[in-house]
Amino acid sequence: MLAGVAMALLRWPIVGRRSELEVFERTLTSDGYAGLVIHGRPGVGKTRLADECRNQAAASGHPTERVVGSRTTALLPLGAVAALLADGLGRSGLDGQDHAPALFEQTRRALHQRHCGRRLVIVADDVSLLDDVSLALLGYLAVQGTIFLIATVRTGEPVPDLLTDLWRDGRLERVDLHDLSRAHLDTLLHLALGGPIEAGAGQEFWEVTRGNPLYVHELVLGALELGALVERSGVWHLEDRLTATSRLLDLVEQRIGGLSAEARSMVELLALCEPLEVGYLETAAPPGVLESLERTGLITIAIADGQVRLAHPLHARVVRAAMPKLRVRAILLAQADRLEAANPLPGPAALRIALWRLDAGGRPDPAILVRGAHLARYADDFRVVRRLIEAVPGEQLDSTGTLLLGEALYELGVSDAAERVLALGRGLPSSEHVALRLAVTRAKNAQWGLCQPEAALAINAAARAVVTSGPLVEELAADEASVWTFSGRPDQALAVLERLGGSDRRTRVVRAIAGVIALATGGRTAEAVDLARAGYADHIALGAELAIAHPAMHVVNEVFALTEAGRLAEAEQLARAGAETVASQRVPIAQIFFAANLGRVAILQGRVSTARRYYAEAAGLAEANHFVGPRRVALSGLALAHAMLGELDAATRALEERASMPAFGFLAPQQQLADAWTAIASKRPTEAAERFRAAAVQAASTGHLTAESWLLHDLMRTSGQDVSARLRDLAGVCDSPLVSVRARHAVAARARNARELAAVAGDFEALGAMLLAAEAASSAAEAFTRDGDRRAATVALRRSTELAASCEGAMTPGLFHAAAAVPLSGREREIAMLAAAGLASKDIAERLYLSVRTVNNHLQHAYTKLGVTSRAGLAQALGSA
Amino acid sequence: MTPEQIILVQSSFERLGPGLPAMATRFYQELFARDPALRSLFTTPLAEQEVKFAVKLTEIVQAIPHLDELLSHTRALGARHVGYGVRAADYQTLGNALLAALAAVLGDSFDTPTREAWVLAYNLVAETMLEGAAAVRPVGS
Repeated sequence: MLAGVAMALLRWPIVGRRSELEVFERTLTSDGYAGLVIHGRPGVGKTRLADECRNQAAASGHPTERVVGSRTTALLPLGAVAALLADGLGRSGLDGQDHAPALFEQTRRALHQRHCGRRLVIVADDVSLLDDVSLALLGYLAVQGTIFLIATVRTGEPVPDLLTDLWRDGRLERVDLHDLSRAHLDTLLHLALGGPIEAGAGQEFWEVTRGNPLYVHELVLGALELGALVERSGVWHLEDRLTATSRLLDLVEQRIGGLSAEARSMVELLALCEPLEVGYLETAAPPGVLESLERTGLITIAIADGQVRLAHPLHARVVRAAMPKLRVRAILLAQADRLEAANPLPGPAALRIALWRLDAGGRPDPAILVRGAHLARYADDFRVVRRLIEAVPGEQLDSTGTLLLGEALYELGVSDAAERVLALGRGLPSSEHVALRLAVTRAKNAQWGLCQPEAALAINAAARAVVTSGPLVEELAADEASVWTFSGRPDQALAVLERLGGSDRRTRVVRAIAGVIALATGGRTAEAVDLARAGYADHIALGAELAIAHPAMHVVNEVFALTEAGRLAEAEQLARAGAETVASQRVPIAQIFFAANLGRVAILQGRVSTARRYYAEAAGLAEANHFVGPRRVALSGLALAHAMLGELDAATRALEERASMPAFGFLAPQQQLADAWTAIASKRPTEAAERFRAAAVQAASTGHLTAESWLLHDLMRTSGQDVSARLRDLAGVCDSPLVSVRARHAVAARARNARELAAVAGDFEALGAMLLAAEAASSAAEAFTRDGDRRAATVALRRSTELAASCEGAMTPGLFHAAAAVPLSGREREIAMLAAAGLASKDIAERLYLSVRTVNNHLQHAYTKLGVTSRAGLAQALGSA
Repeated sequence: MTPEQIILVQSSFERLGPGLPAMATRFYQELFARDPALRSLFTTPLAEQEVKFAVKLTEIVQAIPHLDELLSHTRALGARHVGYGVRAADYQTLGNALLAALAAVLGDSFDTPTREAWVLAYNLVAETMLEGAAAVRPVGS
């Protein structure tokens, strides 16, 4: 990947310009064309395209040359084209014009001779800046066919008459370059960086550059240099805002450099304070200034609301960066005063007033800062909340201020600082409401940020001393339930929730967040889905409030509940829609959980590679946003997917990464699937079985009933152990068809009932669980063979192979014997797999506490059944080669 | 492309499954309906062409997460298409035909995000094929 970047920096890709290059190619090869003119706005890539044309011409054997117009060469006749002139020519004096015809003809002959009659391809960059004599010479040579002229002209610059004449005569082709489309920008970034880019970062590049290729180039280089653009797990993330390089500053300066003083100060005002109302600007600027700015395309006026902005977002950044500090301060203070006079507090203008005063380096009134922070909080802009509240002097910070700041720090992943601030707030006088929210936020930070659920429970319990009114006590209880749910004790959570009333809307929202997961994992999936939907509706009706999760978390929960209910397709669809919404709104915690849930659904669907991608994405996002607990959950999923693909090294790496982090109880039994499957992948079936069992015991004692069913079923799949009794019990208390089909699978496997196994395969398939269906079909084939029904066996086997084909390379023991299609006994299969993995009989014997002779006997049976004669053949027959 | 979009392209392609040959057939129908002149660029029998297309598309979709691998496919493919006389403008038509064929075979599951992901994937493929084409095409000789 890094090598890719180095390549990109050496040779920046050219994207979205192939049609134009073909126009060049066509005109160069057609008779009658003397050249090509490339028009376009600054930064659109005229020079780059012209040079690419030149490269192509050179590659096919044309001599090439490059001349550049500039303000200096424009003063000097033939100054730009000195390189073309034959030795000794053009030195006769500055007034070369007098001898022009002779000079031109001599040059033509000299060039013809120098290049053996081949047409010289000349790039004339910024042709409007060439002196007249140079232009005339180029025109003459082009018409004579000695050269092919590629000229660039900036939009707005005068086009030399000579070019206009040639164009009118049909001797010149013209192309107009425009900024890149969103899709082309995307492709450009992909090629330049050598890989995919995170959605938010791609959006930022689009918003700042609007597809201007030069801006893209400069911003990418700047961001790479400053380390703002970093690659993690193969995906590019933007860690910081984009900043302009000095070259970029120069370029923008050129664009606005020629403005009148009045126009310039208007641009500066907008750069600092946009958007501003057109009515105000008309009074602030002399007549005609706004019109001229609009005409030159530097500003835009929205017709709908009369708000004026700078046309290019980058201009605002560059102008701001270049302004003297004192001038910035004067403008911001004047505008803050103006806005404050027109908008008495409290009002929506407070945020802008507070930010302007801060930017001006002043000490705004704390009331304005807090008011502004509230407004920023409604927009989920936690960076701004932090900035505003941190500007309030410590002694003036009240409990509401500490709540705002503590929450912002928590959301920004600065958990230690959040704990300090929230603990400080607890000591300040506050209303019962604020005391409750301080406690709730501090508990959330303890649980999610610091991974200390016991501390979270202690904070919750301590708050009961100060929170005593009915609905607030209920909310505190709902929050306790939430701590239990997300620390791996859904049974406790349900016990707390059952004692709750739930008249208050806010309490209902918190209850839903805690309850959905607890119900779903307790096997009450229908209730869970309903509760998630009701919670979302209540949350939307509640509006934006302090100290409460993002509404998207209800959707995440519904995805989880649908998954547990075995409604996999619905879960996938909802999660994809949700993931897209939160990616554009930048809600990292919801992004992480949508990706992790998509991974979970994909595992159950048997789309194992897809699961691996989703979990990797979730882990990367969690790391980037400092979410320790969710990262653990994602890494567990990643290891699980790797293990099921037989990628032992990658699975082990993911587990090692996970081991470096503090424990996190949420979905703890499910996290252990990763350890057990990694043991399977490393051919340690006994260890795997122990791990499945232990995790299932933990799941049973903590109310994770659907997880227990998953774990026991996986135990059966990988070891053949009989778990049918407990799975049947679970099917009796869970309403999920996934749980009941698992139970039927176990019962049928125990009875070796071929028909029932085939029916189970069909049921798994109907649920969309293709890997489980393939494995059940494979066992059915085995059972049919044993029953002597060869035809049914063949059908089941074919079905199994077809189903396995959609499992994206899954390598599970259940599929191994699908490939073999021979009824190896459990022991034979275990030994055959170990032998296929390269273990000597002696090692296998030691590992399984058997004698070498027994191992060899089993192996011999396996050889016979599989029709192979060597260990290599064994590996191939088992599909693990 | 974002990682999510890569997943969308790959998972919707996986969903085609046994519908892939039908999609390939539909692709050429859509293509020739849009530009009948393109028919003359194909010298191999159409049935054979469809199989080649399906195989190549599968390779390319699988290679999308690994740019180096993708480029090795697309650049070579682009270079080969120069010989067939395919031009930049034709790539637009090809892209539209591909999207229409996918929409027809995938039905409702070819939703807006999936479509946008395919647009970006196709753009990446087309741009790099054209790059491969430019590298081998002699100009003005």
